[in-house]
Amino acid sequence: MNDNCHWILRPDIVSTVLNDGAVLLDLRSKFFFSANASAWAVALMFENGTTFAEVYQACERWGASPRDPAIQALLDQIKAEDLIEPSTNGNLAKEPISSISWGAPILTKHRDPLQRIMVSAFDPGLPLAE
Amino acid sequence: MTVSKTSGFSRTVCYDCGPITLRLDFDDPTLPDALHSLLNQYDAPWSSPEIIYHASIETGAKPRNTVRPTGRYLQSYRLRVDRSGDTLHSLSEIGVWMDFDLARHSARILVPDHPDRETVIEEIEQQLVLLLARGWANSGWTPLHGGSLIPPEDDRCVLVCAPSGVGKTTFIASLLRQGWRTLGDDKILLRREGNQVIARAMARRFHLHPATVRWFPETFVVADAPRYSRWTEKRVVQFESLWPDRLLNRAVPMAVIRLERGGSLPLMVEPLDPTHIFATLLQQVAVPSDAQHARPLMACVAALAPHLRGARVMIGENAFDLPTLSTRLLDIMRDLLP
Repeated sequence: MNDNCHWILRPDIVSTVLNDGAVLLDLRSKFFFSANASAWAVALMFENGTTFAEVYQACERWGASPRDPAIQALLDQIKAEDLIEPSTNGNLAKEPISSISWGAPILTKHRDPLQRIMVSAFDPGLPLAE
Repeated sequence: MTVSKTSGFSRTVCYDCGPITLRLDFDDPTLPDALHSLLNQYDAPWSSPEIIYHASIETGAKPRNTVRPTGRYLQSYRLRVDRSGDTLHSLSEIGVWMDFDLARHSARILVPDHPDRETVIEEIEQQLVLLLARGWANSGWTPLHGGSLIPPEDDRCVLVCAPSGVGKTTFIASLLRQGWRTLGDDKILLRREGNQVIARAMARRFHLHPATVRWFPETFVVADAPRYSRWTEKRVVQFESLWPDRLLNRAVPMAVIRLERGGSLPLMVEPLDPTHIFATLLQQVAVPSDAQHARPLMACVAALAPHLRGARVMIGENAFDLPTLSTRLLDIMRDLLP
């Protein structure tokens, strides 16, 4: 994979800060993901559009070891879950976080997605056969 | 509910549904009565200033817009909803159509001629539930499909979350009998106010199964109450008729229970970690597949979740037969609200 390609979070990925990290909800698949502070810092870079090379550089500034395999694992997971898409924006990404308390980035996929088809606009449960 | 008459329509009815007032104009004078049992469930007058949402319900009319919604915005088992700008376009299975202008607080519901009157009524109901749910969200409230329990001595509450049919109402009823209070058994509105999230009541009625009388003898009146829908045995019962003075309007959520049915033991309890507390709440919110409208709902849940204690409570099939169960449930509640 070319580290210099630009990637951006898909527009139908919605994130919100939770505790020290964040939750990302994929509105297409309805799966959601918990990100710890380090994974959230990386995800924020993709909100503006960035390259994998820039992610590695930022992580090193935040305290990660050079070419930390945990970063590669996170990038592989983000790509495999289809959370990002190629971006035509060639501008340098803004680095939204100047410093964090770096730890291994962890993105956890929740087992149970939200229902794609729900009972009603108020009840998000799985419709049962009538 | 109030009733009047608007020019061009044969009947107008209004319901105070928490933060919004729903004003409905009908050209078919029989429809308001047919829809009353649904709308009465959401009739919860608040003292706060009202925002009026208006809908006209026109029979035999056809939509001008012929692009059929595909469900990109939201899909329920009866509705497919798309959004274009400020307008939601919603089409039901048999063709009840709604154009809902969120900015103008105004909707037009077109009802086709169809031989199955009961289904027509149900699908108008579904459109009105969409109107209410999005109207509340549009007014800054997050609708939560959950119940609540409030101890006798203060205004903190435990949110009770579970899909329909798991037993939220029975669980809540078992604690109402012990002096606890509630905002309702399955409809709550949440909103951030300063540094906290508050919960408000959205219903003055319970949905109880007549079999509940097996455990709670005072519910014998339930068997004679009207059915909730043709798809369930549950009956619609006024809170006050069973447990007077137990329905409150407002509380501050401090804990959440994720209720599950089954398991090998009558009662099992385990703590919920913060991430699962968030997941439990989010799974009870109907989140549209639209980033702009999903974001505030998620933000409200995320603002609430870190402040809550949580427990996963699994109740065995015949657990309520045990005379000690109510005491054990009380202990769980006391642990959650020390």
